[in-house]
Amino acid sequence: MSNAKSVAFVATKMIPPSPPPSGSVGPIHWAREHLFPTPLNALLTLVSIAFVLWLTPEIIRWAFIDAVWKAGSLAECREIARAAGVEGSFACWAVINERFNQFMFGFYPSELYWRPILAFALLLVALAPVLFAHLPRKMLIFSAVYPFLAYWLIWGDSLWAPLSAMAGFAVAYAAFRALSGGVVQLGLAAAAAAAGLAAVLWWLFAASSAAEAMQAVLPLSIEHVESAKLGGFLLALILGVSGIAMSLPLGILLALGRKSDLPVLKGICVAFIEFIRGVPLITLLFVASTLLNYFLPPGTSFDLILRVVIMVTLFAAAYMAEVIRGGLAALPQGQYEAAAALGLDYWKSMRLVILPQALKISIPGIVNTFIGLFKDTTLVSVIGLLDPVGIIAPMRADSNWNGIVWEFYGFVALFFFIFCFGMSRYSMYLEGKLKTDHR
Amino acid sequence: MKHSLILGAVAAIGLAAGAASANTLEDVKAKGHLQCGVATGVPGFAFTDADGEWQGFDVAVCRAVAAAIFGDPKAVKFTPTTGKTRFTALASGEVDMLARNTTWTFSRDTDLGFDFVGVNYYDGQGFMVRKDLGVTSAKELDGATVCIQTGTTTELNLADFFRTNGMSYEPVPIETNAEARQKYLAGACDVYTTDASGLAATRSTFEDPKAHVILPEIISKEPLGPLVRHGDNEWGDLVRWTLNALIIAEEKGITAANVEEMAKGTNDPEVNRLLGAEGEYGKMIGLGKDWAVNAIKAGGNYGEIFARYIGEETPVGLARGLNAQWTQGGLLYAPPFR
Amino acid sequence: MTNTAIDTSNMVVSDEVAVEIVNMNKWYGEFHVLRDINLTVNRGERIVICGPSGSGKSTLIRCINRLEEHQKGKIVVDGIELTSDLKNIDKIRSEVGMVFQHFNLFPHLTILENCTLAPIWVRKTPRREAEEIAMHFLEKVKIPDQAHKYPGQLSGGQQQRVAIARALCMKPRIMLFDEPTSALDPEMIKEVLDTMIELAQEGMTMLCVTHEMGFARQVANRVIFMDQGQIVEQNEPEEFFLNPQSERTKLFLSQILGH
Ligand SMILES: Nc1ncnc2c1ncn2[C@@H]1O[C@H](COP(=O)(O)OP(=O)(O)OP(=O)(O)O)[C@@H](O)[C@H]1O
Ligand SMILES: N[C@@H](CCC(=O)N[C@@H](CS)C(=O)NCC(=O)O)C(=O)O
Ligand SMILES: [Mg+2]
Repeated sequence: MSNAKSVAFVATKMIPPSPPPSGSVGPIHWAREHLFPTPLNALLTLVSIAFVLWLTPEIIRWAFIDAVWKAGSLAECREIARAAGVEGSFACWAVINERFNQFMFGFYPSELYWRPILAFALLLVALAPVLFAHLPRKMLIFSAVYPFLAYWLIWGDSLWAPLSAMAGFAVAYAAFRALSGGVVQLGLAAAAAAAGLAAVLWWLFAASSAAEAMQAVLPLSIEHVESAKLGGFLLALILGVSGIAMSLPLGILLALGRKSDLPVLKGICVAFIEFIRGVPLITLLFVASTLLNYFLPPGTSFDLILRVVIMVTLFAAAYMAEVIRGGLAALPQGQYEAAAALGLDYWKSMRLVILPQALKISIPGIVNTFIGLFKDTTLVSVIGLLDPVGIIAPMRADSNWNGIVWEFYGFVALFFFIFCFGMSRYSMYLEGKLKTDHR
Repeated sequence: MKHSLILGAVAAIGLAAGAASANTLEDVKAKGHLQCGVATGVPGFAFTDADGEWQGFDVAVCRAVAAAIFGDPKAVKFTPTTGKTRFTALASGEVDMLARNTTWTFSRDTDLGFDFVGVNYYDGQGFMVRKDLGVTSAKELDGATVCIQTGTTTELNLADFFRTNGMSYEPVPIETNAEARQKYLAGACDVYTTDASGLAATRSTFEDPKAHVILPEIISKEPLGPLVRHGDNEWGDLVRWTLNALIIAEEKGITAANVEEMAKGTNDPEVNRLLGAEGEYGKMIGLGKDWAVNAIKAGGNYGEIFARYIGEETPVGLARGLNAQWTQGGLLYAPPFR
Repeated sequence: MTNTAIDTSNMVVSDEVAVEIVNMNKWYGEFHVLRDINLTVNRGERIVICGPSGSGKSTLIRCINRLEEHQKGKIVVDGIELTSDLKNIDKIRSEVGMVFQHFNLFPHLTILENCTLAPIWVRKTPRREAEEIAMHFLEKVKIPDQAHKYPGQLSGGQQQRVAIARALCMKPRIMLFDEPTSALDPEMIKEVLDTMIELAQEGMTMLCVTHEMGFARQVANRVIFMDQGQIVEQNEPEEFFLNPQSERTKLFLSQILGH
């Protein structure tokens, strides 16, 4: 307050806005700011540009300009290239051309290719409402039916088998309805357990005979294709998509179980997660492919692909559970309390309040796990499943093509890159879309 | 260390499995197909063709066995196995037999709980070097870097060879044949050593095969043959005699083309016994009269199979050498069929 | 704060008991946080609870809708005793509204969805109807035009008013407030208090933890002072402020009214 006189000030006019001085905007400014801010950064920029300029033409020459697209063998490829005056190495894409169908479908009968193709097209339809919230919710009914339909399309045989598997859920629902009656909270848990048990009993004892009976009454079947015929990207997608689709719900349940107050449940979940995370996937795959034979009663034929799907799912679910637990832990306690204070019961508050937020926080981690799982499916080549990587070895051993390496792996890498990049872009889209907090 | 751990596990599993499946033939008949373990891909020995069918010198043995049992060379499914997974796959019952360049050794036959039923390729370990190194003998390899597949017999032979000759080497461990090929061509090692058949097959795929030489020394015996689980002798007999049938067929001049004709009866009683024109020999191994006819029809006799997949006319280009019939100075000597 | 005269015509206290707490004790581990609490709240009563930090105010009102579990004694809300029976707990929670210091709105839902969530999923109100009710209460707290925004886009005062509306949408018979204004800037405090006063005028049974003594004077018909986990003094507001009995109350009042 002492020298109030000297600091007193009153503006006499408002200053109109004016454009910024040149040099602080425009491309030159941008380049100076981002590419050459310091001598070290300038050097790094120049080195990187030089590197890219040096590498790109070489790759383009190898993969496109000098490449041979049509030939019957590597020797023929070489002849064609030499005749065209190519010196040094070049890509012989002819092999991908010739083995394209094997890469796509493995040994799937070629006259039945339409079935996996249709299954893939329908997969896109089934995924659409899951991925994009603005599509009609009714489409989710198709998404729910899709797994059974896809199974039938790919493996074929009687339609009644997947239908009776589906009926298991109807059995569970009916049992739940009949047993829960009122809205008894404890009764609900018991009814849910009983319903689950009913479904399992149905699957174990009634499903196959029901399917057979129906098949006898009304035969509805298409040609059966055995698992050994599946391979290539078809196999990678089967493993990846089913692993992804099942590991998320399982991971959520495990994460909730791990946070549960019930010591037994919590203990089981913790033990499961820690065990699975403590074991390399490749070990689990070995267990699935060979050791499981010892534990199953002799004579049970338990499809190898199914076993692998289960292992891959369990593996991813353990990681998923930890990712989601991180999301749950990041939520303020107040959200749990507010949901409880409004009278929402445990499952409702989880479904409506907690999980939507926890999952949103966890999107990068979840997609990371998905991408990891998808790429990890290539490990099945060590147990003799011919996924895109596994199928390379017998192709390469064909005397016609022996000696080709880069083309095979480059092609497979491109495929995986497209899918993984797609997933990562989608996750960024989703994050942006769900960003509701700090707008 | 890692190696012996795996072997230990395999041995334990082998013991457990002995009791599990006592009658493989019945299991196979019930399944309706043979499950055969093959290599993931060795040129000439096991590979897939443009139609996605498994082919190769080893694969042909599987097809012959399938044909002997079912009369159909296609009644077989293949499980690709690597050098590390092959024994577990067989021990666990995942496959019924293994036909992939596997050396018959004492410990594999006894300790691991398998039975080798014979030899379909007499191999030996060799060395390949670039011609411009000017090396003419393996004895001149002192101090060389050597590409070597881990978990194989070749790894052990190599060590023995260099030690007995008082030389030193630097190993470059690798997993598969394909990896070895890349490393060798890139100059990561001076020498690639593996079964001589493998060396020839690999060299055949080089841009300039003439720039490389396979040294004259063969430093080991590598009898490669099909194997089955220990403990089911009937099954072992069946596979053994299917292989023998193919070898006898070559010796007796029975081919895929003339086998039907010869099955009607010939002047040679051994041929008649083999092809079912005389006696009930199929029954003794639980099969029909025409089992050998079917096995031979599947891919021809031993010589035909050899010529088709790995013979001198093929890119692999192997000479019969030790794998000629005993009558031709080779080692192929099937016991008499009677 | 708000010194305008308020309409008290609806603010009648009935004989009906809304909340009854008898000899209630609670421990956090070894720590005895609530000691022999006895409190009866009649329908239509407006109770303000104050006391130094850590005295157990929040814990007390959180016990009433069992966000915290008590270990001894008895709590009866709306004629239902709180036990570990989950069914009763959910029932009581749907009858008792709660407003938190930090609002605790659901950030992934719009204002309207925040308000319709519980009516739709707990009360099974049809969506249409739930939205009408929500708009009614949003109008009441004077932010109907923000209905389609997300909580993150609102000021603190607006968020707290939404939180009140959200609680009201369940048509609760009792409202609990845990320092609803202490996270707010002064200008926002007023808008929230005005909303609470309006609520009081309509005869809502309220238990309020707050240090807004102006509010206490105007609307409370009882002020409770807590210290070290026990109720030290309770009285009508005039008496409480003008004539505190206990030394600790005097000290506390001198501190919060002192400046
Ligand atoms: N979950 C808990 N575990 C252990 N101690 C707790 C827990 N919650 C609160 N306390 C302790 O219980 C006492 C009472 O806490 P409470 O939150 O009821 O105080 P308060 O009167 O609301 O204080 P404030 O005015 O600061 O909000 C405090 O000493 C606090 O440290
Ligand atoms: N015969 C030896 C070595 C066999 C071996 O390593 N063979 C190579 C090919 S020459 C092989 O099987 N490679 C399989 C693969 O690369 O997948 C053994 O049985 O241990
Ligand atoms: Mg508090």
